[in-house]
Amino acid sequence: MNLRHLWKPLIVLSAAVTSGGALAADPQVDVRTSLGTIRLELYPAKAPRTVENFLQYVKDGHYDGTVFHRVIDGFMIQGGGYDTSNRQKPTRKPIPNEAQSGVKGGLKNEVGTIAMARTADPNSATAQFFINVADNTFLNWGDPRSDGHGYAVFGKVVSGMDVVNKIAKVPTGPGAVAPRDVPRQPVVIESMSVVGGK
Amino acid sequence: MAGELFVSDLHLSESRPAANEAFFGFVEGPATRARALYILGDLFEYWIGDDDLATPFHAVIAGFLRRLSTSGVEVHVMHGNRDFLLAQAFCEASGARLLEDPVVVPAGGVPTLLMHGDTLCTRDVDYQAWRSQARSKDWQRRFLERSLQERREAILALRQRSREAVKAKPASIMDVDPGAVEEAFRRHGVARLIHGHTHRPGHHVLEVDGRRCERWVLPDWYGTGGYLATVEGSTPRLVRFS
Repeated sequence: MNLRHLWKPLIVLSAAVTSGGALAADPQVDVRTSLGTIRLELYPAKAPRTVENFLQYVKDGHYDGTVFHRVIDGFMIQGGGYDTSNRQKPTRKPIPNEAQSGVKGGLKNEVGTIAMARTADPNSATAQFFINVADNTFLNWGDPRSDGHGYAVFGKVVSGMDVVNKIAKVPTGPGAVAPRDVPRQPVVIESMSVVGGK
Repeated sequence: MAGELFVSDLHLSESRPAANEAFFGFVEGPATRARALYILGDLFEYWIGDDDLATPFHAVIAGFLRRLSTSGVEVHVMHGNRDFLLAQAFCEASGARLLEDPVVVPAGGVPTLLMHGDTLCTRDVDYQAWRSQARSKDWQRRFLERSLQERREAILALRQRSREAVKAKPASIMDVDPGAVEEAFRRHGVARLIHGHTHRPGHHVLEVDGRRCERWVLPDWYGTGGYLATVEGSTPRLVRFS
């Protein structure tokens, strides 16, 4: 039997669903913060392990009650690691850095993109992330000014960029977790959830 | 070693993190060095239609395959008895090509018959009846017209019934029928067959009409998982993850 023939109706059906836009393969996540909601779109085809890791933390509720603890206007806002009592939350083991395949797929540290934070070790990202508020090309794999490894972008803000910019502009100074760039009033991630998730 | 790799019966599901982690390691490791990856059915624990790509877990799995296919490794997917509704949108998201069942491809330079394996279990009459119903255009159209939630519930109910039915069947019914295997070798004129489905990994040598034929059965990923590797000029190698 010719299976191609058998599958024809399904292909037509799939095409119909796709044209309606209901078949987005790129997951979206709502980040509800004390200053408003940011909606992220994630790109598993270009950074699968990073997206999988981030979604697992979302699902586990890891980010609920964490803060943006490092905020630098004109650069980025970083969060997802500390709770409101400035305690570092436990994480799973680090993931490999996908900055290279991301850049090759077109994911760069541009305004509104989200990337994984890490230490000097290129493969040390766990839960902390940052959202770029400038085109930070020096964070891209392959950029001559990069550290040779780059920071892995895995999604971007699709709505709520005004909230991101509002966070970027909050007054900062020395705090419990760092000697500078810590918001004077905590900016809290109240919850994160997958849009349309079960 | 740019040969071919064969896997089946991964049964990936959000609730099975160990298998998922093994899959991520596999597609980022051995699979990147292959010419082609053949997934011979049941990549997913179940697939209720391509619109279920909206489930982030499914999008992530498709994403891993997409990166592999973008890097130049051919990715082929055959339907299994759990994910026979994989279709065009999944192929677009993953970069995979849908394989017919059965199909003959060159593997290690040898014409090789690939099957999921369920059609070889001809003694399981109940299952074969269900299979022919579920593969009909009418059944699939009616099923896909239902909401995702209704389909999910229907599949869960079906799996429960299937588990009970399997318990009641003798093990021999669940394995391939030797006559069906011989017939497959005869009809396709090949001397090598690779399939999964039975969860009885191994290498079987048999004689069909005076010809030496070999049948390789792939391991499932409920346990440690593994794959079969073929390279031109070498005997296929069954690799089990430790």
